[in-house]
Amino acid sequence: MTGPSRPNSGQDISFTFDGTRYSARAGDTLAAALLANGIGLVGRSFKYHRPRGIMTAGVEEPNALVTVGEGGRAEPNTRATDVFVYDGLAAQSQNRWPNLSLDFGAILGLAAPVFSAGFYYKTFFGSAKRWMFYEHFIRKAAGLGNAPRDADPDRFSQRAAFCDVLVVGAGPAGIAAAREAADAGKRVILVEQDDILGASLIRDPQELDSAWAKESADRIRASGGHILTRTTASGYWEHDLVTLTQRLAEPGQVPANGVAQRLWHVRAGQVILATGSIERPMAFPHNDRPGVMLSQAVRTYVRRFGVCPGQRVVIATNNDDAYLTAHALKEAGAQIVAILDARPAPAGQEHGFTTFNNAHPLATKGSRHCLKSVSGIVDGIPKSWDADLLAVSGGFTPVVHLHCQAGGTLEWNDAAQAFVPGQSRQNVKTIGGAASPAPVFSAAPVVPAKKSFVDFQNDVTLADVDLAWAEGYRSVEHLKRYTTLGMATDQGKTSNMGALARLAEKQGVAIPEAGLTTFRPPYTPVTMGLFAGTAAKDAGAHKRRLALFDVHAAKNPIWQPLGYWFRPRAYPMAGESLAEAAMREARSVRTAVGMTDVSTLAKFEISGPDAVALLETVCATSVGKLAVGRGRYTFMLREDGFVFDDGTVWRIDENRYLLTSSTGGADRMATHLSYVRNYLHPELRVSVVNVQEHLAGIAIAGPKAKSVLATLTGEEPPRHMSTVGAKIAGVAVLVLAASYSGERAFEIYVDARNAEPVWAECETAVVGTGGCLYGLEAMEFLRIEKGHLVVGGEIDGRMTPLDLALDKMLNTGGGFIGAAGLTRPALSEAGRRQLVGLEAVEGSIPEGSMLVTADGKSPEGHVTASAFRIMDGGSLALGQLADGFLRHGEELIATSPTRGQKARVRVVAPHFYDSAGERYRD
Amino acid sequence: MLHPISMTAQGNAIVTDVTVSTLPSAPLWAFEIWNNPDAVATRFAAAAGFALPEMGTSGGSDALRLIRYEPTVWLVEGDASALPSILDNDGALTAIGGGVTRVLMSGRGWRRLLMEGGVFDAESPAFAVGSSAATIIDHVNIRLLVLSEDACLAYVPLSYAQGILHFWQEAAKALD
Amino acid sequence: MMLINCPHCGPRAQSEFVYERTVDSVAPAGASNDEAMQILFTRSNPRGVDDEIWRHTFGCRAWMVVTRHRVTNEISQVRAVGPEALP
Repeated sequence: MTGPSRPNSGQDISFTFDGTRYSARAGDTLAAALLANGIGLVGRSFKYHRPRGIMTAGVEEPNALVTVGEGGRAEPNTRATDVFVYDGLAAQSQNRWPNLSLDFGAILGLAAPVFSAGFYYKTFFGSAKRWMFYEHFIRKAAGLGNAPRDADPDRFSQRAAFCDVLVVGAGPAGIAAAREAADAGKRVILVEQDDILGASLIRDPQELDSAWAKESADRIRASGGHILTRTTASGYWEHDLVTLTQRLAEPGQVPANGVAQRLWHVRAGQVILATGSIERPMAFPHNDRPGVMLSQAVRTYVRRFGVCPGQRVVIATNNDDAYLTAHALKEAGAQIVAILDARPAPAGQEHGFTTFNNAHPLATKGSRHCLKSVSGIVDGIPKSWDADLLAVSGGFTPVVHLHCQAGGTLEWNDAAQAFVPGQSRQNVKTIGGAASPAPVFSAAPVVPAKKSFVDFQNDVTLADVDLAWAEGYRSVEHLKRYTTLGMATDQGKTSNMGALARLAEKQGVAIPEAGLTTFRPPYTPVTMGLFAGTAAKDAGAHKRRLALFDVHAAKNPIWQPLGYWFRPRAYPMAGESLAEAAMREARSVRTAVGMTDVSTLAKFEISGPDAVALLETVCATSVGKLAVGRGRYTFMLREDGFVFDDGTVWRIDENRYLLTSSTGGADRMATHLSYVRNYLHPELRVSVVNVQEHLAGIAIAGPKAKSVLATLTGEEPPRHMSTVGAKIAGVAVLVLAASYSGERAFEIYVDARNAEPVWAECETAVVGTGGCLYGLEAMEFLRIEKGHLVVGGEIDGRMTPLDLALDKMLNTGGGFIGAAGLTRPALSEAGRRQLVGLEAVEGSIPEGSMLVTADGKSPEGHVTASAFRIMDGGSLALGQLADGFLRHGEELIATSPTRGQKARVRVVAPHFYDSAGERYRD
Repeated sequence: MLHPISMTAQGNAIVTDVTVSTLPSAPLWAFEIWNNPDAVATRFAAAAGFALPEMGTSGGSDALRLIRYEPTVWLVEGDASALPSILDNDGALTAIGGGVTRVLMSGRGWRRLLMEGGVFDAESPAFAVGSSAATIIDHVNIRLLVLSEDACLAYVPLSYAQGILHFWQEAAKALD
Repeated sequence: MMLINCPHCGPRAQSEFVYERTVDSVAPAGASNDEAMQILFTRSNPRGVDDEIWRHTFGCRAWMVVTRHRVTNEISQVRAVGPEALP
């Protein structure tokens, strides 16, 4: 089957198909290599398991889908026409069992009438048992390739690029446009999905040839332009952003530098689309048999790859282009048995071929592997020809996908029977064959509808289109969804126009009136890993590291993610479980002293004469009376009156304040402060600086915390809710006396660059006093027992200050954000959920459980956080309960059906420990 | 090089044409003006000997450098001791150096490296020596300062520094 | 991904920006409680041009009002807001 121009370099490449070894030539696509090896049967169809071969020579291929590569590199549903053979390539056919040639699934083809359009939908009607019956073997039988089970070992890159002119498609028109732009001194990017430029010049030699393409490429590069091959412009987005998917390695191939593919985001000044057109197949029974190919594809295989896909060829066409294929085949030594030209009379010059006018193919016969004969109708009279190849050309569909994605309109070109680009919303224009496709003969022949495939990949026939019409599906969008037309991985590149013509015929309207479905990105399938980029290899985002990460890591703690942060959850000693370690740490805080890293808290330094004005807008509590060196608890409301964050505010100097708030809400608070300062109150003389990361924070808590701090600083520690500057280990620190644990406690803030010596000195003092480090788990135990709130737990965005019993702290002067929202009547109605404590009467209270009464009515609340009494034992929790303030003493059931756990609980005040706050005071 | 910075061996990754390394931490400040900008600018120029830099630019020398990333805030590196009196009651100086890691990219490949995972046109000739820009790279907010055609400095949030450094080192292996 | 012409930085990718809310949802200073809630909860939501508040969060951190067509994404104006622009 080797044609005259097949390169004979002598350097054969070895590849396997379904385990059998074959050889290919450098530059072959897998499809070309398979054809060169005489392989006609490449895959089985999606629904009916019909034998399918190679139909096209490009990315539009609907039939020849294979899995390429092995292990985690396996790429299913790869078009054999869109992968270039490399040494060792391993390809597998798909959707067949036990093998491609003997496929038991093909029995589905016999039951084809059952699996017609809308089959899935119909099984949902009537008895559910019907679907239950079908589902089992449909899931097994229908489908394409299987997703690999292993992780992809390769990396994916994402890169931005900017240019004056982006040219998509390196055919003659695209190359010329890119060359012109480069000559004009513009930043140019030229992209081509093939691995060479100007491939169509090999198929159809013109005045311009491959040498011109190469010279143009050199010129474009010399003027600073970029040329990207194996790169597909797959999406056109707002404001002339085009995404490109670049293959740095072929499917399944080990990439040279670890990166398999790159996703480019190109922002272009102008986009020129030279995307060409896709040849259309013809609809007639058994038009899907191996050996039926598109005419231009046949020519490509003959001229570019030197592979002649048949020796006795019938050509069916409605245009002039197919005659070029006849010439190419003749040059390659093949015999043109007949040309069936749909046009009523000979067009153009005498070709010397046996040509029939007013002629259409009607059927094909053959085996699973090849074609044996073609029957047709000429002037109404049936005829038949022995042939091993049928080359068809039903006209040309311009590739308008990107133009449409950019928001452009389409116009109907009647001569070409095709939609061409019309108006553009963005700075894009279409040139070449995509703008002006070749004319065709428009009349569609009358053929039997059964087994006349329009969508080869999803097994949709003319009969399915007719059935959808008969069942009342009138719009093209309904037709698409009911028949699954154009919804396969090829997105209907070869099929949509054929089906649309049929629909228009049924409707009795012209094609443009029948409408079109939407073109959505991507143009060709994109590997999921490419969207993930480098995140495909990790947690999906960068982990944020504490300034003291190394110090903690040396102690081998149990880590806990907190937003993007990772913080120590507990520091277990040898043999300790998490629960045991956390309880030991919490007891140390209750009885002696403990220290923990609180660096992730949101922190803002707010300075200027109007700092108080800003704070009293953001905070719902009053700040104005705060003396220098004093601080207080505060909370912040959304405009609708709900609490969204809380923290502390400290006056550290005459006109300088430090505001802390929750870790999880840090970015939200930064935005909120900026919004209030810049958008609402640009007139304020105030500076808000986010110092969350600038200051590392160390909390020391426990009855011995005061003496530990005195030792560390050599000074009298500040009283509760006071702040002083001090030195620890010779480093300047800011000490805040604040407590989350319920014990006398201090937060020490230090420039993160100097945090390590301060931590080390604190640790020495704490451990020397009989204390230990504690993590987030112990912190939870401590704060729950104390009844302190956590943002995201008790403060869940649905609670007002009243619901949380914070209303007495509200700034009576008003003026804060949320003051208006709080006046809404619904926020003070009965029945609202309110903060309560819960103690177990029997059992241990499950995390996240709901609160129900014994009579089985709807849940009346839920547990927000549960813990154990640190010194005395016993299960307790915080929760939200309808009218909870009035229900202290009532018994409820806390139940978690998902965990299969429940407990009997009593409603109490949410302060289980030192409710008078005496332990803070000296 | 405009900005002679001592290189450390910490986290070095030598690649084809760009080397990414972290620099020793340095004291940095946010210099914010809230009032009388013209008066502050005048006082500043008189005291510092150079004008307050415009948006997207930087000014000064190793002794005192101001880099403008925001309409009302400048990043200050060097000796900032004179700045509070220049600001007087029209602005504030706030220390931020603890939260920032400085990453140096040296070698002609830095522009291309910045396109990886980025959205900002670091390859534009307009992004010239002395230019500054704040942008997002691989989900991390980054502030850039062009030191020379062969070097660019990135100010990176401390918590993300390890992650973005790893990202750059991996990306630098496949810049092609 | 849109291209937004930041008044301070020039044209930048949308990924650097964060959308906040529409201008018409912000109650003016001095609005009564009822008016403020009316403005917060009752919005026009036009299928067409609207004034939106955006922030160049991952760039210069400044706020701006972007006049955008919500169907075509055409941006007809970007206006700087915030403290007085400096020299």
